[in-house]
Amino acid sequence: MAGGRPAGSAIEMEGAMRTLPSSGRPSGTGWQSRGPLFGRNYGLSPGSRLLPPRCQENADPQKMAFLLRKQWTLYSVSPLYKFSSADLKDYARMLGVFIAAEKQKGLAVDVDGELGIKVAMSGLPELRGSEQDPAAVLVQLSLRSSVSPKNSEEKLIWSGWFCCVAGDDLLENLPENFTCLPLFLVNGAESYTAIVGSWFQKTFDCCFRRLAISPLNLTWMAAMWTGCKVDKNTAATELLFSVPHLPQPLDISYAIHPEDAKALWDTVQKTPGEITQEEVDVFMECLYSHFHRHFKIHLSATKLVKVSTGIASAHCDGIIKFLQSQYLIGVLMLLTELAISQIQ
Amino acid sequence: MDEVIVEYIRRTVLKIPRDEIMAVLQKWGFLSEAQLQTINFRQTKEGISHSVAQLCEESSADLKQAALLDIIYNHIYPNKRVWSVYHMNKTGEETDFFDFRDFKKKFRRQIQSALINVTINFREYEDNAIWIRIAWGTPYTKPNQYKTSYVVYHSQTPYVFISASVLRSNLPLLCQAMVVASNYHDIHEMELRSHCLNSLKDIVFKRYSQNFQTNYPLQERNVLTENVDLRINDENRSEKERIYRLNQESFGNGPQPKLDFAQYKLETMFKSDPKWDVLEKKEPFRCLVKFSSPHLLESLKSLAPAGLADAPLSPLLTCIPQKARNYFKIREKKSLHPGSFVSP
Repeated sequence: MAGGRPAGSAIEMEGAMRTLPSSGRPSGTGWQSRGPLFGRNYGLSPGSRLLPPRCQENADPQKMAFLLRKQWTLYSVSPLYKFSSADLKDYARMLGVFIAAEKQKGLAVDVDGELGIKVAMSGLPELRGSEQDPAAVLVQLSLRSSVSPKNSEEKLIWSGWFCCVAGDDLLENLPENFTCLPLFLVNGAESYTAIVGSWFQKTFDCCFRRLAISPLNLTWMAAMWTGCKVDKNTAATELLFSVPHLPQPLDISYAIHPEDAKALWDTVQKTPGEITQEEVDVFMECLYSHFHRHFKIHLSATKLVKVSTGIASAHCDGIIKFLQSQYLIGVLMLLTELAISQIQ
Repeated sequence: MDEVIVEYIRRTVLKIPRDEIMAVLQKWGFLSEAQLQTINFRQTKEGISHSVAQLCEESSADLKQAALLDIIYNHIYPNKRVWSVYHMNKTGEETDFFDFRDFKKKFRRQIQSALINVTINFREYEDNAIWIRIAWGTPYTKPNQYKTSYVVYHSQTPYVFISASVLRSNLPLLCQAMVVASNYHDIHEMELRSHCLNSLKDIVFKRYSQNFQTNYPLQERNVLTENVDLRINDENRSEKERIYRLNQESFGNGPQPKLDFAQYKLETMFKSDPKWDVLEKKEPFRCLVKFSSPHLLESLKSLAPAGLADAPLSPLLTCIPQKARNYFKIREKKSLHPGSFVSP
């Protein structure tokens, strides 16, 4: 166990570990007012955010194409203690040993005797907002057949990546020996997530929590992503509402043609260079009132559970899908902010 | 070929809930009671299916028997498919005597004149419903028994319920065969679809409750005798009664027919509150709205009493059973009444 932490953190860590793969909501201590969230965006009006940046061509978005069109489950991660991006190869080996040991304990994954799990860790230096951000770290688990080691085929079974895009305010106050990669995204079986998570917790004294997305933040995503310029034909802005507490559950999908949604947003968004909470609210109210004019239903009284656009889609349970590589950084910036506000 | 048929029967058996396999096989009637007694129903479904397959092999089950089992399965579990309602028209008022044999002959001939590789089976049920199963092939391949279309036709009515297979290209041929075989002139889709075949029948045969009683006593009346301020109580009560009465007028007081979705394509003008100063567009604002629920009409009915919608609810929603459709395209009505819509 790494030192340098208050004594309580180990216990807190254990507790958090058990809940890691479950879809439980964060218990709420980290989620406070919007104040600290926006603290880092110096010069912005209170309660506003920067327009999502669009990647330049030289950033080579194609390199990140493998992150697109997959479902990623979101976690927040507290800063890693004594983590060094120079040691990724060693970490991969250690994690491989740890997984093999867990397997033997029979606690973990049921793997055929002839199969082994190969761990790969690598840096993703493209995924950052500025030079200050640490490079993102990709962890991949593959199944390999040991029957014929010569032409062994590897099958990717689980991926996870840690990243930090424009995590400025957390980075500034970071004590020595800590690395801040507050956002962890996972695609693969929960049993692997649990093992990998527990190894990181043990090794770097960090704590994972599922990162749910509040309906308010979903409205931000709906507005921000609708406003993004996309070159070719893009998907509709689709809002999915669920109506709770009825004898029969009801889901309402409200999809707006991308051109019309963007035309509306462009007339709502008036502050240069930034988006304000008020603009987001007006955008949603406009859509709600258009809906009400037709159906007499108050969408504001229902629960927004999912937002899909041509840029990305996000579910309130903390599941995200990236669809446009050029806005990957922009989306990650917002998610990093949400992750930081959960761990603060 | 026999193996293929036996495997088809086995897979059909696998789809049946375990406790109901015996009853379905008895209805099928192909295997004798003595044969059925030899099956161990306490084993896994997989095991049961193999026992049935073996008995069918011994009794040389043919394609006709296999198709019959599939019809029986679909008749008992019609909700596994999505059904669309079609309406047929005649030019004259003449009513023909319906001859089932003649119908079958014409139907078969019509389809096979265009495509020889099809399997067509009929079964007549007591409620005058004719069930038709069609497995489609191509000019060069044999019929695929796993990709079937189903037609349910009540010979005394102009309505046809079709559950098309994935091979939608054969739908025009199927419709044409229906028109020719039943002596109608044309057929069109009614834009009414659901998993629940019986509810579709209830709607088009007007079997659902339509007795719109307006002075039905309010059930909550006795509950509301708390010692709260009487005036508030009265206001509450009269508001509740108003909502209840309006809801009764819209929905009737019987159980609603079961539909699982409704879809609206909106091409109406966007009208916003002038205070927002947004989007002044002369073109329609294009949206696609989908409502889905295990019991759509019941959940819509409960919206206003739950305070989630105005009473009365929009006619766009309450007209579903009367108009017998759940797919709509809504345009602005070019008339004196702003804010009213048409659904062509």
